[in-house]
Amino acid sequence: MSLLDVNGVDFSYGRGKPVLQQVSFAVEAGASLGIVGESGSGKTTLLRLLLGLTRPDAGTIALNGAAIDTRDSSFMRGYRRQVQAVFQDPYSSLDPRQSVFDIIAEPLRSLRIAGDHVALVAGALDAVGLDATSLRRYPHQFSGGQRQRIAIARAIVARPQVLLADEAVSALDLTTRVRIVALLQALSKDMTLVFVSHDLGVVAAACRDIVVLERGRIVESGRTRDVLARPKHPYTQALLASVPRMPEGLS
Amino acid sequence: MSAIELTEDTGRSRPSLTLWVGVVLVGLHVFIALLTVVWTPYDPLGMTGGRLEAPSWAHWAGTDRLGRDFFTQIMLGSQIALVVGAGAVAIGGAIGVSLGILAAFASRWLDDALAATLDILIAFPTLLIAMLVVAASDEASLFTAILAIGLALSAIVARLTRILAKRVLLLDYITAARTSGTSWPGIVVTHVLPNIWPTLAVNFALQFGLAAIAEASLSYLGLGAPPPNASWGHLLQEAQGTVYTAPIGAFAPGLALVILVVGINLLADGLRDFADPTRSARR
Amino acid sequence: MSNLVDIGNLSVQAGNRTLLDNVSLSIAPGERVGLIGESGSGKSLTALAAIGLLAPGLTASGSVQLAGQQVIGAQDRTLMPLRGTVTATVFQEPLTALDPLLPVGRQIAEPLRRRLRRDGRGPSRAELDAKVQTLLTQVALPDPATRSRRYPHELSGGQRQRVAIAMALACRPQLLIADEPTTALDVTTQAEILRLLAKLVADNGMALLFISHDLPVVARVVDRVVVMQHGVVVETGPVAEVFSAPRHDYTRSLVAAARSFDRALEGVA
Repeated sequence: MSLLDVNGVDFSYGRGKPVLQQVSFAVEAGASLGIVGESGSGKTTLLRLLLGLTRPDAGTIALNGAAIDTRDSSFMRGYRRQVQAVFQDPYSSLDPRQSVFDIIAEPLRSLRIAGDHVALVAGALDAVGLDATSLRRYPHQFSGGQRQRIAIARAIVARPQVLLADEAVSALDLTTRVRIVALLQALSKDMTLVFVSHDLGVVAAACRDIVVLERGRIVESGRTRDVLARPKHPYTQALLASVPRMPEGLS
Repeated sequence: MSAIELTEDTGRSRPSLTLWVGVVLVGLHVFIALLTVVWTPYDPLGMTGGRLEAPSWAHWAGTDRLGRDFFTQIMLGSQIALVVGAGAVAIGGAIGVSLGILAAFASRWLDDALAATLDILIAFPTLLIAMLVVAASDEASLFTAILAIGLALSAIVARLTRILAKRVLLLDYITAARTSGTSWPGIVVTHVLPNIWPTLAVNFALQFGLAAIAEASLSYLGLGAPPPNASWGHLLQEAQGTVYTAPIGAFAPGLALVILVVGINLLADGLRDFADPTRSARR
Repeated sequence: MSNLVDIGNLSVQAGNRTLLDNVSLSIAPGERVGLIGESGSGKSLTALAAIGLLAPGLTASGSVQLAGQQVIGAQDRTLMPLRGTVTATVFQEPLTALDPLLPVGRQIAEPLRRRLRRDGRGPSRAELDAKVQTLLTQVALPDPATRSRRYPHELSGGQRQRVAIAMALACRPQLLIADEPTTALDVTTQAEILRLLAKLVADNGMALLFISHDLPVVARVVDRVVVMQHGVVVETGPVAEVFSAPRHDYTRSLVAAARSFDRALEGVA
């Protein structure tokens, strides 16, 4: 049994075209998985399903063998404790009217987690490399990279088993991006990282395993290193060839 | 990108002149209304002078048909205008915000139905709704006036709340709250209301002014607080017959109402810039 | 031959905050220049200053010459004809740069008509239509005859950016300013748009000012780069030279960051 099991998931909005078709993969505890796809690949929908925000039309998503049932609120509370997320846009993922402390403590309050919340929040803040003076400040006083650190602190404060990152570095500057990827990598030693992104370079840097989605289907999966070294599917090959690289040095 | 940078250091704006003028004008009415609770220049019902006297040092706004001091009555009118304004905004706000939030969270079908109903209600003049409410109750009283105006305002508040809440619900921090395990009621209290509050507060201030005008209109039609409550609308109606001989009777209560409404509108404008830091930063 | 753009010691202030500090930058006709920097570096502001579009409330000092015309302190009236004839701009998000209520063909026809009028020709409707089709073919929009009647929201992000580029080309500018034109696009689409831009610039002999935070993207389309940080130009030079032997610390950190993702892709992370 894997930590996270996605089995035969189908999804479509209303009676529209299928967004996801027969998507299956498993994430082992302690692994890091990158889900790569472009717009229209269904990766955003897949993320919403993994977060329990939407129900699949068919198939199951299971954590530690127990399938998600979004209508069972006590199950969902347990699930949310174990699966937390970081979103793409650090300017809209933090409530501008809440202090940093209130933002980070939200999962603790909402999931009614026992313990010293002040200490837990301080620990999470420290883990993402922000100092304790940040707690009484508000999101607009921070840069994009710092805001994303705050969002990560919120995601790890309840010590989840799975950390879902949705394009978590796409909106950041290049040098900030490197630092946040390094932070996520460091955190993935203690929890399982699932990184949804269109950016192959970021996934290559952060994830051991990779799943490539094209128009709602998985076209290729495996160890990131193997897939990138010898991409088998034409789509993966095209994707890899499209990534702009730095020019070679002067010859 | 540079635009974002620009907004960071300009910080909160200082309260503008608009806000100060608004505060002074509204403050004047609040002061007078409170004062009349404990003291008035004359007994409002006492016949303290001749009939329809012109303004003098003894009677600043002259006297009415029964020889009562007119200025005293206008002062008491402040009390009624403010009580009706506050009461109507409280009722309209409570009902409107609840309905608006409900619509924002409702299923597509219910939301469409609520939105259509609100649009129809808003198409009715506030005064007409108020008249219907007063007609439905046995007799006109201060309370029916408050209730009537409050109900009429609630449709406007509900529509605004629905739009504002829907906009907030699309933001990532709402998704983040859901994945943090926050319940829908929790999301309303901790995220939606605090974020729509600045805009709502400004709107409430404007509604307050509308309520004061609606109350004067109702009283003018004899559907407001009955005598001896000295509503400005009632004073205007009484002065109608003598408008050529004693124009002060129509002019003074009208001026009091205008000062209050202009003051409230200035206050609302000033609040808009002051309450919303993202807006003030663009100055 | 004189430069198309000559920015000399340009400083821009917002109140007492300095947004640009002594920025100098020149672009010769046909030259392809990359303006690199992270958010807040002032790279977009520099481009706006070059075409005289500084927001009110900003004070500028120094010199900005656009095709020999001094921009700083000039009336908007004198600058208006320069934008569109000398320069045209393509923005990051084509959805907000296009009018949502007009079919894309008509949006391209508008600047085209203006240019032809200026050249002393009142084009017929048929002539205008034919030229719009030619432009859409040039930017490789698939099935241009049908797509020109579509509204912006009916096209994909890449197709919208092609339309925006066609609009810029309709002006036949001497300088094309592209502000993060591929940032909002998918990787495969980005590669196509970059190829298209490089080809169009070469075919039409235009100069290009390409603004981006993404080093490898810039490297694909320009000859020379200007690196900005906190409103200051920290380094400038031929792209191969700057990227292989950066002299400034900041450039070094950018290059290292970009190379780290490249190395991850090679599997040597």
